[in-house]
Amino acid sequence: MSKFKKEGRGSGPALNTASLPDIVFMLLFFFMVATTSKETDPTVQVESPEGSRTTELTPYKQRSEIDFLYLGTPRNPNRAKAFKMGYALSLDNVVQATPDGLYSTSAVGRWKLDKFAQKPARMTAPLEAVITCFKADRNAPTGLIFDIRKQLQDVEALTIAYAVRDKGNI
Amino acid sequence: MAKREIPEINAGSMADIAFLLLLFFLVTTTMDKDQAYIRNIPKKIDVPLDQTKVQERDILAIRANNQNQLMVRGQVFSDPSKISDFVLKFYQTNEKDNDVTNNFPMYSTTTLALCDQNMANLDRQIEEAEAVGNEKMTEFFLASYDEWNKKKNAIKLYGKSQIRELSVQAHIRIEVQEATAYSIFTQIHNEIEEALFELRDKECMRLFNESYGLLKRRFAQDSDPQDKAKIDLLEILYPGRIIEITPKN
Repeated sequence: MSKFKKEGRGSGPALNTASLPDIVFMLLFFFMVATTSKETDPTVQVESPEGSRTTELTPYKQRSEIDFLYLGTPRNPNRAKAFKMGYALSLDNVVQATPDGLYSTSAVGRWKLDKFAQKPARMTAPLEAVITCFKADRNAPTGLIFDIRKQLQDVEALTIAYAVRDKGNI
Repeated sequence: MAKREIPEINAGSMADIAFLLLLFFLVTTTMDKDQAYIRNIPKKIDVPLDQTKVQERDILAIRANNQNQLMVRGQVFSDPSKISDFVLKFYQTNEKDNDVTNNFPMYSTTTLALCDQNMANLDRQIEEAEAVGNEKMTEFFLASYDEWNKKKNAIKLYGKSQIRELSVQAHIRIEVQEATAYSIFTQIHNEIEEALFELRDKECMRLFNESYGLLKRRFAQDSDPQDKAKIDLLEILYPGRIIEITPKN
C-alpha cells in the first residue's frame, strides 16, 4: 500500500505547454486566410435563395470593390407594415424610408454615386463596371428589384449581380 | 562578478493572447463566399429607337406570374428544372442545319472573309466620321470594329475558316410580375446559366480538352489572354443574351 501512496504524492514533470501558442497561432492564421470579413449585420433579415453555376464575387476581388444592397423584411415586424409589400431596402445599414416612414428607393442613385466617389484611387473601374450586388430575401417581390434597377440605370451604374447561396459548383 | 543569468520570460499567457485573437477572427469573419449572377443593365436611351420586328422564332420568353407559376413560350412549366432543357433545345435545334419549319432561331455562317470585309468597311467609316468630327459615331464604329476583330480571332482559334453563329436577334426574355418571388427570378437565371454552361462546357471539352468551369476559374485568377480568347470564342458560339423586362404596374 505504501508503494501506491508514494507514487501519488510525487508530482510528475510539468507538462510543457511552450508549443501551445504555436498551435493556436497556426489555427489563427488558417482562419485569417480562409475567411472573409463579415459585413456589418444588415438591419433587414435576408434569406438568400439557392442557385448554381454562379460567379464568385470575392475570391480575387476585394469585397470593398462591390456595393451591396439588402432587400429583406425589417427586423422589427411592426415596421414591416409601413413598407411596400413588407420589404425594406437597406443601404449601408440604413433602412431607406421616406420621412413618413414609407418605402423609398429614390436614395439608391445618390447612394451609388456617393459610394463611387469614396472608392480609393487604386480601384480604377468606371462607374458602369462597378458591381452592385442585390442581396434579396427569397420571397422578396421582384418588382422592387426592378424599381432599384431603374434607379441604377438612371445613374449609369450598369453592372449588377443577383446574389444567391450556391448549392456547390463542380 | 559572476555572470548574471537572464530570467526566463514566462510565456504561459502567450497561448491566452493567441486564443483571444483566434476567437476574435472566428467571430468577425465568415466562411461563405459571395456567389451571384452578374448581369448588365442596358444603357438608358433618351430617344426610343424604331422597334425592329423580332421574329417569333428568335424569342424565348420565360414568364413568371404573381403566383410564382412559370410559363415558357406559352407552355406552363410545373417543374422549373425542365427550363434548362428547353433552353438547350432553343440553342441546339438548328445548330447543324437550318430547318425553316420549326420555331427555333436560325444559325448563319460567318467566314473570315466576311470579317475582313466588314472590318475594311468600318475602317473607312471610322475615318469618315473622324474627318467630320462626329465623336459618337466614331465611338460606335470603333466598338463594332472591335467586335468583328474579336470574331475574326475566334474563327482563327476555332481552326476552321468559318463558324456557325446564332441569329443576332435570338434572345432569352425574362418577364416577371411585381410580386414574383426573388427565388423564382433567380431560379430562371439559374436554369439559363445551367444550359449555357452545359453547351459551352461540351464545346470546351471538344476543342480544348478541358472543362469550361476550370477555364473560367483560371482566367479569374491569372487573366491569361489565351484563356480570354478561348472564353470569347465559346461566348460567340453560345451567346447568353438575356433581356429582363420591367414588370408593369
